[in-house]
Amino acid sequence: MIKLLGTGFTGVLLAVLLVACGGGAGEQDTRDNTQEVLDYYAAYPDFFRFRTLADLPADLAWENGMDLPDLGSPLAVKGGTQYGSVQDFPRTLRFVGPDSNGSFRPWILDDVTLGLAGLHPDVDGEVYPQLAREWAIDSESGTVYARLDPAARWSTGEPVTVDDYLFMFFFYQSEHIVAPWYNNYYGINITYSDITKYDDHTLSFTLNDNRPDLRDRVLALRPVPQHFFRAMGEDFVERYQWSFVPTTGPYVIRDQDVQRGRSITLTRLEDWWAKDNKYFRNRYNVDRVVLNVIRDSNNVFEAFKRGDIDQFALNLAEHWYEKLPDNDPDVANGYIHKSVFYNDRPRPTFGLWINTARPLLDNREVRLGINYATNWDLVISNFFRGDFSRMNTSSDGYGEFSHPTLRARPYDIDRALAHFANAGFTTRGRDGILVNDQGQRLAFTLSTGYEALRDILTILREEAARAGIEFRIEVLDATAGWHKVQEKQHDIFFSAFGVGVEMFPRFWETYHSVNAYDQAFLPDGSVNPDRQIQVQSNNLESLASLEFDRMIEQYDRSGDREEMIELAHRMTQYHHEYASFVPGYVQDFYRMGHWRWLRYPEFFNHRQSGAATELHVHWLDTDLKEETMAARRAGRAFEPQVRVFDQFRVH
Amino acid sequence: MLNLNPETIKKFRRFRQIKRGYYSFLLLIFLVFLFLIGELLVNNRALIVKYEGSLYFPTYTAFHPGTDFGLPYSYETNYRELKERFAEQGGDNWVLLPLVPYSANENHSTTGIFRPEPPSAQYKHYLGTDTTSRDILARLFYGTRTALFFAIAFTFAVYSIGIAIGASMGFFGGMFDLLFQRVIEIWSNVPFLYMVIIIFSVIPATFSILTRIGILLTVMVLFSWTSMTYYMRTETYKQKSRDYVASARIIGASNTRIIFKHILPNVLATLVTFMPFTVIAAITAITALDFLGFGLPPPTPSLGELLKQGTSNLRTAPWIVTSAFGTLVVLLTLVTFIGEAIRESFDPKKFTVYK
Repeated sequence: MIKLLGTGFTGVLLAVLLVACGGGAGEQDTRDNTQEVLDYYAAYPDFFRFRTLADLPADLAWENGMDLPDLGSPLAVKGGTQYGSVQDFPRTLRFVGPDSNGSFRPWILDDVTLGLAGLHPDVDGEVYPQLAREWAIDSESGTVYARLDPAARWSTGEPVTVDDYLFMFFFYQSEHIVAPWYNNYYGINITYSDITKYDDHTLSFTLNDNRPDLRDRVLALRPVPQHFFRAMGEDFVERYQWSFVPTTGPYVIRDQDVQRGRSITLTRLEDWWAKDNKYFRNRYNVDRVVLNVIRDSNNVFEAFKRGDIDQFALNLAEHWYEKLPDNDPDVANGYIHKSVFYNDRPRPTFGLWINTARPLLDNREVRLGINYATNWDLVISNFFRGDFSRMNTSSDGYGEFSHPTLRARPYDIDRALAHFANAGFTTRGRDGILVNDQGQRLAFTLSTGYEALRDILTILREEAARAGIEFRIEVLDATAGWHKVQEKQHDIFFSAFGVGVEMFPRFWETYHSVNAYDQAFLPDGSVNPDRQIQVQSNNLESLASLEFDRMIEQYDRSGDREEMIELAHRMTQYHHEYASFVPGYVQDFYRMGHWRWLRYPEFFNHRQSGAATELHVHWLDTDLKEETMAARRAGRAFEPQVRVFDQFRVH
Repeated sequence: MLNLNPETIKKFRRFRQIKRGYYSFLLLIFLVFLFLIGELLVNNRALIVKYEGSLYFPTYTAFHPGTDFGLPYSYETNYRELKERFAEQGGDNWVLLPLVPYSANENHSTTGIFRPEPPSAQYKHYLGTDTTSRDILARLFYGTRTALFFAIAFTFAVYSIGIAIGASMGFFGGMFDLLFQRVIEIWSNVPFLYMVIIIFSVIPATFSILTRIGILLTVMVLFSWTSMTYYMRTETYKQKSRDYVASARIIGASNTRIIFKHILPNVLATLVTFMPFTVIAAITAITALDFLGFGLPPPTPSLGELLKQGTSNLRTAPWIVTSAFGTLVVLLTLVTFIGEAIRESFDPKKFTVYK
């Protein structure tokens, strides 16, 4: 009886709650910010400029990037359902705001939506058209002009117009989105000095800092659908938490395909506006992408081995050599293909990020000691079996912009001990860990969100103990780990930033003091004693230095390539001297195992691709799937395929 | 010292007659003994080093830097290398290593690559190595030690609290009983596993491993003492109304005396039979927590962590899962056998027919 009553009561409570929610939502749906947006534009007439086509300079050299090589393979066919997995269910479907910068974002933003034009992944310094049909650069004034493709449509059917770009600034400048980086970067007169609308499809952007990558940065801008965010307000974060934002790209997520905590599915738009475009016709071939939540990476592998998942990244030596060796029956019989692809691009910055706001870690000598006490070389040679190489600085892989001579500090116990001694840690305790005069042990928490890489940390821990320092290991799940560093709760964090293909490295995000503290310095340049840690930013080292700030600001303003190279080297040097980052390893390839029915082009992928799926050049051959499974049951073999694509290999 | 009454002595004799349980008990005691002197059996520190005429016993002392034995480094001596070195030099110096010369945390690869290696007597990896080339026997040994000692401490704590509260509830009755029954009802409905997970997610990793084990123990005890009180309460209730308690009261015995001298010995039989199963529950719980990743932080050796590694390398390194699983089976079987024997020997009816 008690039980029954309980259920009934819950039911009533739920009903009340539902009614309450319904009422609230109904009221908010009537909100329309169209006038508010127009008023906002009017308030900044120098930023949001409205002109006519007659005002467009006549002598512009328009380009359209149509003479570059195609992307993908002409053999690709459309169709099929691809099965994949995600480690964690995404915390939100917003692409901006709290929790949005997670590992799911490529599926709703980075890999699947369009800017005006994109860097061609095979040809250095060339861009191919996306939303724009043509563009022109005025490098004198730092202005980029573009004409939108009139055919461009949002997934809702609405045309993409210049208004969506004007709205992009309104959107990113709004405090409601709770994203300080966007607020700042897109702020009035910060990066951009104006956006000008000439007609519905013609626009221009002028940048304050006329820099060598002016064109690339502007053309990468993605519009924000004004018609969708009409009801945007203070409740932005909650209101749009689970609503799929209309896209210019090929994939949408339908409401019925979001099964919270379990699975999420992308569906290809049959009549996507760009499907016949030269650069898209061979890409985005899969009809549906089903992503199931599988938390344990070993279970993902087992699912792949069963054929429940179509492909699996075999980057770890454990997977490539032990779990799926070349003589594995599925590989030897040709059911699963193994491919290594050497790419050529800036690499993710795997390493130890040291939070200098923490006690003891604010001491440079301690940090230097940690650098010498971290045995990455052993990890690379014994754990990765020598396939990877050591990273030297956090800005490797940018050609001339990378420091030519700096080398990461090697594992050297004597030097580590010398530095720890300088910091007052001279005697070893009973267990061999150093202690100082006050009895403090030299021990720090080393956290990570990479469950699959926990073994690396246990190796580093054992090696560091020889140099008298203890790493306490904390392995979190990906989301909790990212949350921890974003709140700056870590001592030392093992992580990496994904790096896009850019001409030169960024420093502001990771090293500027505004991303470390709310107000790092007093006006006279001294350290502000009351400064508060700046959360939700990428300065994981809490690095705050006026000298560094000045270099970053000069670098971000500079339009002179030579000066920027010189500054980049100086900053890299400064960062190296500051020793708040222990460079880890770089992986100059990616390795995949994929079932026979999941096909890649004959050249496998494009030069600058960071992962096999990034450009969506693969396709599914549904007939092959049936054939393969039947052959596997019958014990029939195919030609085994273990292929190495080293046409772009640099090292 | 507790003066055993003839009845209890008879029970013990009965226990000895049940061979399966008795030998299991002896074996477990032997295991506990081995665990107590574990550092002498499984360790990368030498038992005895003779160097330049003097003897060193590094096992339980502070670490010896390599410089103590003429090596050029200031970190902990690698005694296996030292042994080879001394053998090569052929002098008077020698090293006596434990049976298993590895610690639970060191990566020792025989091939220069960290990967699971199959059991080999040649390298003294008797059960092979795990995914980062750590000796499985060493990890198993120390993992089991933690689990077993944890379980014993857990049982002791749960019984102390359970007996104290249960007995007072039964003995005093009335409001006290009523109130505590409600408290226990509410408390025992808090899901224990979730509480552990929640609490462990907020405990900073900066705490030492021993502290973390302590916290885990406290949390588990906090949520497990309740079930014991029920049995204690009913038993005490039953005994309280017996004539011998009334006589004791008339003589003028105090409450404490009545509870500890008269009632407790009479209800002990019930409690003792539960004990082995509490031990089993504790071992299972800590293994499960480690398996789920909410137990002890890496690289602490534990049964759960080995099981997890084993299941994820089932195909490529079956020796990991077999050793962990085998140990767990043996340990739990031993305790179960003991438990059955105790239950039987404390049963007033010597011959029982199950229907």
